[in-house]
Amino acid sequence: MPLFGELFVSEILKKPVLDPKGEELGNVKDLIVTKGQPLPRISALIIEKKKMQYLLPWEDISIFNKRIISAKVYTQALEPYESSEDDLLIVRDIFDRQIVDVNGVKVVRVNDVRLEGLQSDACLIAVDVGMRGILRRLGIERKGEDLIRLFGKTITHNLISWDYIQPLEPRLTSISLTIPRQMISRLHPADIAEIISKVSREEGATFFKDLSVETAAEALSELQPEMQVEIIRDMDRERASDIIEMMPPDEAADVLSDLPTETVREILEHIEKEEAEDIQELLGHEKDTAGGLMTNEFIAYPPNITVQEAMEKFRKDAAEIETVYYIYVVDEKEKLTGVASLKELLLAEPSIRLAEIMETKLKTVTPETDEMVVAEIISKYNLVALPVIDNEGVLLGIVAIDDIIDRILPPTAKKKRRKV
Amino acid sequence: MSRWKRVLLFISVMGPGILAANIGNDGSGITTYSVAGARFGYSILWTMIPTTIFLIVIQNMVARLGVVTGKGLSALIRENYGVRATFFVMTALFIANLGTAVANFAGLAASVEILGFSKYLVLPLIAVSIWVLVTKGTYMVIERILLGACFIYTGYIISAFLAGPDWSQLAYGTLIPTLKWDHEFIILTVAIIGTTITPWMQFYLQSSIADKGVKIENYNATKADVIFGSVTTDTVSFFIMLTCAATLFVHGIRIEEASEAAIALRPLAGDYAFLLFALCLGNAALLGAIVVPLTTAYVICEGMGWESGLNKTFKEAPQFLGIYTAIISSAGILVLIPGAPLVLLMVLASFMNGLLLPFVLLYVINLANNKRVMGDYINSKGYNYIAWATVFTVISLTAFLVVTTIFPAG
Repeated sequence: MPLFGELFVSEILKKPVLDPKGEELGNVKDLIVTKGQPLPRISALIIEKKKMQYLLPWEDISIFNKRIISAKVYTQALEPYESSEDDLLIVRDIFDRQIVDVNGVKVVRVNDVRLEGLQSDACLIAVDVGMRGILRRLGIERKGEDLIRLFGKTITHNLISWDYIQPLEPRLTSISLTIPRQMISRLHPADIAEIISKVSREEGATFFKDLSVETAAEALSELQPEMQVEIIRDMDRERASDIIEMMPPDEAADVLSDLPTETVREILEHIEKEEAEDIQELLGHEKDTAGGLMTNEFIAYPPNITVQEAMEKFRKDAAEIETVYYIYVVDEKEKLTGVASLKELLLAEPSIRLAEIMETKLKTVTPETDEMVVAEIISKYNLVALPVIDNEGVLLGIVAIDDIIDRILPPTAKKKRRKV
Repeated sequence: MSRWKRVLLFISVMGPGILAANIGNDGSGITTYSVAGARFGYSILWTMIPTTIFLIVIQNMVARLGVVTGKGLSALIRENYGVRATFFVMTALFIANLGTAVANFAGLAASVEILGFSKYLVLPLIAVSIWVLVTKGTYMVIERILLGACFIYTGYIISAFLAGPDWSQLAYGTLIPTLKWDHEFIILTVAIIGTTITPWMQFYLQSSIADKGVKIENYNATKADVIFGSVTTDTVSFFIMLTCAATLFVHGIRIEEASEAAIALRPLAGDYAFLLFALCLGNAALLGAIVVPLTTAYVICEGMGWESGLNKTFKEAPQFLGIYTAIISSAGILVLIPGAPLVLLMVLASFMNGLLLPFVLLYVINLANNKRVMGDYINSKGYNYIAWATVFTVISLTAFLVVTTIFPAG
């Protein structure tokens, strides 16, 4: 694989290309792009020596990275390059082009192009449309960064993934997006997960670094287990803990269950005690059972409080909890005695007590119940969540419908993960 | 095509050429013409004829670039000459246009003052209304308002008649070129060309043609628009010089500012001439104050690839609205600060313009000859001779201006 890691095209322009003996063949002038699945790739380099241009096919390149580019061939083997409008060249045709939105409105310009090694190809994975790209082209990315840092700020990366760019043809005058610009800048965590799952591990990790803790937490839970493990493992413990802490306990437990015990211990040490205990408890269950799927965050109140009081408590508690559509009623020993839906609570007289509105004929499962049985019950009774109780009837947790759906019907991001 | 169809087509396509040329006659332009007319009288009038030809040749090329590519000049520079070239051109353009905006706000302040109002009251009001008009209005509306405002320029023609020129001297001065090997004469001639052909006008013209989406089939209408605009704007300039020649020059009055010309006119040509002159100065400066900051923000964002647009929020297009607001507010504030180095800023502006213009013209002529960009619409051979001659002349003259700015003793 000649391409190691990722690089920006502007970082290799004018760099010397060496032959196997270390002699200069010429300098990088441009790169020819060809269609490829799933991303366009580099088919050849155009190198320049003494005003003459030569073609260096991708197959003839042995090392290709920011620091060194070397070929497997010598000068004699190089073919002269005849400039052609039918070729699509990165510097000539893609650099500096206007990017237009789906509705044809001009938005930004291509400042740089990011390449990434996939199998043995160099693929175009993103265009840089940010300030960093401009500074890099001007050769002052470092200086610009230092300057901005004086003001206590950082220059964020502003990349548009190639997925959002319409296929390019030679002779293009502008580049179109496939989805509206505004949506790209405000990507849903599930879409972010999809991008991460499509690119390589390093790229995914880099991408992840720039996300806020909240977005990272949501995006992480959308990823396939092995990808989750890779990302968390490569991250520093502090940030990993922050992200894990932000996730609902059941999803946090899912991520942690695939990690080495040592790493789990380190991460849990950084997390608030109560939260860590919840996760620890969930880690004890098999993954494909109700216990492995459930979360131990739910709303549970004693039967003797009034609807009014329950609603006041609810306002305080619900912010932190993912699934809030049922109010479970538990006695002093935490045994489940009934359930009231949020709708029932809202419609009830404020003065009556929970015990009077709650449903007592409950559908429950135990932690050992198989996930398919859980799915059947949820589907049959049209539930949003199903309580999990132990043999004494103590409420342990709930399985929410979105968790069970993910098990039966993996989200696209989890299916599409490409092997790199 | 019937005659009516042709007229209708012209009306729909017209605007960019007329506006670009006429707004080029902004506050600093009027100052230059007034000073030149007052200093050298009828003998400098002939310079308007070659200046007009130069203007038409250059604007015509720029207009063709806009029609054929559908892109602004800064976009073409960026796409064909890269980030570095764009960055330097845009930085120079920003400084030059900041100075031009200051000159226009200063002209506005001066005309407000001589008309008897307080600039401290009126100027902030105007600055805020410009900002609101442009950020809340649509471009269509703005263009029509500006076109309407251009008619006010005819006031200068009337004031010239009020000044009672000597017709035989006028004909002689216009048709027989006199060259004086006088340092001041040369400087003023060069300044006239420099203020008539400015970099920002080329950017403005091409962007507005591109945004209008003029089709190549209608290029002849655009050509007519450009020629009509250039001729009218220079006619106005001609009459400004004439007014000053017929009055101030004859009485040996030297001036430094357009507003001084207006005041000096009063005893010589009467209240109406004074009023018209002052009002027209205010109008010209106002047009410049509206268009220059807007063009700057738009052109820089197009070149650098930043989102722009009047209907965007500050968060969506921070650079665009930032540049626009910064120019208007800093120019507005600078003019109101007593003792602010305005003259220095305006000299710096014309210096930057002189420095920038050669590059802009070379980019324009190279782009207009680039087959990759223009396809079959590259300059014809014959046109190229005229274009190169024009570019060469204008560049040598502006280079002269730049050199004399650095070494004023010359």
